Amino acid sequence: MKNGEDAIIVKYLWKTFKLPHDKRKTIFESIAGIFDGKQGYEELVALKDINFTVKKGEAVGIIGKNGCGKSTLLKIIANIFRPTKGSVAINGKITPFLELGVGFQPDHTAKANIYIYGAIMGLSDREIDAKLDEILDFSGLRRFEDTKLKNFSSGMQVRLAFATAIQTNPEILLMDEVLAVGDLEFQQKCLDVFQQYIKEKKTIVFVSHDLNSVRRFCSKALFLRHGEQVAFGNTNEIIDKYVYGVDVQKDTKDLQLDPEIDESNHLNEDAKEEKTRWGNKKVEINNVKFINKFGKESTMFNSRDPMTIRIEYNVNEAVEDLQIGIAVYSDNDVMCYGTNTDIRGYVVDTTPGSNEINLNIHNLTMMEGKFHLTVAAHSKEHEPYDWRDKQFSFNVVKNGNDAGLFDVPCEWKQ
Amino acid sequence: MSELWDYRHLTLKLATSEFKLRYKNSLLGFFWSLLEPLLMLTVLYVVFTNLMRVNVEHYQLFLLMGIVSWNMVSRGTTMSLNSILGKPSLVQKVYFPREVLVISSCITALLMSMLEFVVFAAFMIFFKVVPGITIIYFPLVLAVEFLLILGVSFGLAALNVYYRDVQYIWGVVLQAGFFAAPIIYPLSIIPEKYVWIIMLNPMTRIIDMLRGSVIYSSMPAAGDIIYVTISTILMLVIGFAIFAKLEPGFAEEM
Repeated sequence: MKNGEDAIIVKYLWKTFKLPHDKRKTIFESIAGIFDGKQGYEELVALKDINFTVKKGEAVGIIGKNGCGKSTLLKIIANIFRPTKGSVAINGKITPFLELGVGFQPDHTAKANIYIYGAIMGLSDREIDAKLDEILDFSGLRRFEDTKLKNFSSGMQVRLAFATAIQTNPEILLMDEVLAVGDLEFQQKCLDVFQQYIKEKKTIVFVSHDLNSVRRFCSKALFLRHGEQVAFGNTNEIIDKYVYGVDVQKDTKDLQLDPEIDESNHLNEDAKEEKTRWGNKKVEINNVKFINKFGKESTMFNSRDPMTIRIEYNVNEAVEDLQIGIAVYSDNDVMCYGTNTDIRGYVVDTTPGSNEINLNIHNLTMMEGKFHLTVAAHSKEHEPYDWRDKQFSFNVVKNGNDAGLFDVPCEWKQ
Repeated sequence: MSELWDYRHLTLKLATSEFKLRYKNSLLGFFWSLLEPLLMLTVLYVVFTNLMRVNVEHYQLFLLMGIVSWNMVSRGTTMSLNSILGKPSLVQKVYFPREVLVISSCITALLMSMLEFVVFAAFMIFFKVVPGITIIYFPLVLAVEFLLILGVSFGLAALNVYYRDVQYIWGVVLQAGFFAAPIIYPLSIIPEKYVWIIMLNPMTRIIDMLRGSVIYSSMPAAGDIIYVTISTILMLVIGFAIFAKLEPGFAEEM
């Protein structure tokens, strides 16, 4: 260890999984395989050249899409998988919370399981003796201490496991989405414990899809995409990169990062084209782009961030007047907001040929979710030139802990 | 190795919890744990004493000691075979040295065999045979047997993760082994020129020493001790080498 301040040092880490075409699981199959000559496997590179250092007392969040290698990385740090190339150096005692309740025996009582699970997490019987009351109280399962575990609901099992696991007094904590279980009250308890760990300056590596908790707990973040380390650094910057794509050149490609969204967009445009677009095409709306705070096109936005809706249109025939309007719908078809140039008293340029107009939004007030946009060009008398109904969409990522659909700017005072 | 020592607590915990689990759900509880081997040994005793007309002193005890010590081998290795493969959540979700799983399975098997030895003691009393001072060798030989089982188990448990038919092949080997070792018959009925083959099996000498120390008040022969010790060490080294070679891929292979 070159530095006593570093808890985890990951250097040039590669991980490759071999996926055989037909998996030979028996000696017989392996011998038969020599003769039929069908050798071969697919190599799946799960992690490519990962480099980062976690200092003692730091909380680091790992973010990225499903299958980007987050959990693999966590398992390598936990020493469950071994690196193919490169190294991971650990300085301190690791407590992995990759899954709660590992090793529970359904036929033993809750109390017996506390001892078994405690042993797996590295606690001796004597240590558990001293903490048994605390565990039972925290989990709220004192009444059931002599009940066999198989009679517990899954929620009760998780509570018991978490209550035991937090007694381990970890130095380095690895967490994989474990906070996402249990009811609200229990989740709150977990968050309190988590907060306590952060206050006590425990080293934490945290994998989550919930950008909001990463933002809340982690000072640093690591962004993985397809096994590659895209960025490592200050949480807010990294989350911006995750949400808005990475750099100038790659920008439009990054949008395809999220295949679900992209595909559904295409589907929308192709299949619904007929029903969702009408008008006499005197003015045509060619394209609508969502521009983020870095001036780049994106379909993902942080809540409370600015957004520009850029509408490209073509004036085909001279028209007396032109109004352009938008309407925002939530994913369950509630109309959230609508405005147009007429209402705002803005005069639109009607020079024949192609034009563009921007709608600058200072602050996206929707909290999170997918939103659909209708863009329309029409006359003052509502003669539709080109009406594109909910043909565009964007996603909003939560930023903060307030609940609901919309942000209401406010403050408490006494 | 020193890391394993740090995990001794977990090893024992897993072993005893598995042991308790085996008897907890039965109606008669702990009593059943004694009754089961008692019934089994009685059946085997009745069958074989009538079947085998061999001239062996205290044949009943000779037979039972052979069966009990062979049971330890077959139980220990069979349980260990699945000790890694049977606990995917432990192997894939949490880290501790994987050797812990094999060792704890062997300890569980040892504990279960202890109960059978208790029943064996009851048979000793029943047949009014008093062991001599040589009984002090009994725990030593048993310890060697345990280590031999452990060595074999390491290799088998690791191989079974990669090749799932190892457990079936081993089942056949165990069946053959039951008849290839002098368990139900004395070595004296084997033709002289084949004896050396039977003697290659360390279990032959281990069972012989166990019988000698408990039933016949005879000291183990120095040659036997050396042979058994060397083959046990060899087995441990080979088993552990296989295990160490395959261990890094366990979590991925399952």
